Amino acid sequence: MEDVSRRQKAVGKRQKAKDKKQESQMELIKKYRLVIIVVLPILILVLIRSSGLNHFKNDAKKWAESSVKQSNIMTIEQVVSPSGKNLIINLDKEVSQISKLTGDVQNIQADSILSKKHVNLIMSHDGPVLLFSLDPGLSAKIWMILSQLGCRNIYILTNSADNEVFKYKFRPDTLLN
Amino acid sequence: MNTRVRFSVGLLGLGLILALLPLSGSRSFTVKPEKLLSEVLDNSIYFTVDQVAKFIVSEDSSVQIIDLRTPGEFRTVNIPGSINVPYSKLLDNDPGSFLNNGKAINIFYSNGDFDSNYAIAIARGLNFDNTYVMKGGLNEWFNTVMNSNFTGERISARENALFETRTRAKRMFNEMNSMPDSLKIKFIQSKHLAIKKLDGGCE
Repeated sequence: MEDVSRRQKAVGKRQKAKDKKQESQMELIKKYRLVIIVVLPILILVLIRSSGLNHFKNDAKKWAESSVKQSNIMTIEQVVSPSGKNLIINLDKEVSQISKLTGDVQNIQADSILSKKHVNLIMSHDGPVLLFSLDPGLSAKIWMILSQLGCRNIYILTNSADNEVFKYKFRPDTLLN
Repeated sequence: MNTRVRFSVGLLGLGLILALLPLSGSRSFTVKPEKLLSEVLDNSIYFTVDQVAKFIVSEDSSVQIIDLRTPGEFRTVNIPGSINVPYSKLLDNDPGSFLNNGKAINIFYSNGDFDSNYAIAIARGLNFDNTYVMKGGLNEWFNTVMNSNFTGERISARENALFETRTRAKRMFNEMNSMPDSLKIKFIQSKHLAIKKLDGGCE
């Protein structure tokens, strides 16, 4: 009988201590009510905005840097070398000669490149992702969008690395001066 | 807990939030990715070299042509009336300083298709809807306008108008780029002055 009452007392004490702790916690929450009400919703909004691919969040200049240095361009000769884990994305409607290259070739049309499935495929790929189109302007635009979304290790695959080279020579007409 | 501590905790929380905040609109793209994608995939962002030639010949003041090549390349040869904003410097300053100057149309061009298409993706991403690209760049300009030639026996009115525009644009291009650098700016100014004088009409 004594044992039982001792146990009951101990349980009662523990319960009281627990209640006291809860009370003090509640008091603390009450004290910080204002801070919590203000900060918590903002924090949640910031976290939502900072995660996910529904918007751009990167420094535009930083992520466009490799296009200035032209280090984002790869030629077919560079890719043919057995480097292994290349994911080649053919952005054109037609299946081109690019499918003969080594590596995994996916036909993804440019207008569906931002679908969750395709973005996940690009993001999760462990190795270089190469964008190919017969229209160099199309690969350039898609490269810029994906880069600004935070996709790393992404390149433009081209069969004409000299696209930005001026191919003509201008001869000034000296008779005009 | 006193007010000072509560205030400090609140400030710390706000500091953390600020640290987590995405970058400001002037530095990161403000347009939603799907919207940007549909905009840049629309063919209406492109002008052909013939359309640009027409703007130049008519000296359309609502159009600004932006040369994205290096200053050295720009000095050697450029499309009459264009301004030089090298692609490498596009995001160094506020792009609004040259894209928001009252021009309805800003047309980017480079030697080929890469830089001008990067530039339009950046400009449209930063919400400058008045930006376009001259398809094919300066290489296409030379191929179509500078090397234009008519060899047939008969010419339709439309073909004739096109050929005439190309010839006039070619002449302006030659006049402009055959001059020493120092005279190029004066040349454009004098052309505007000459037109203004002509606009005077009969007295």
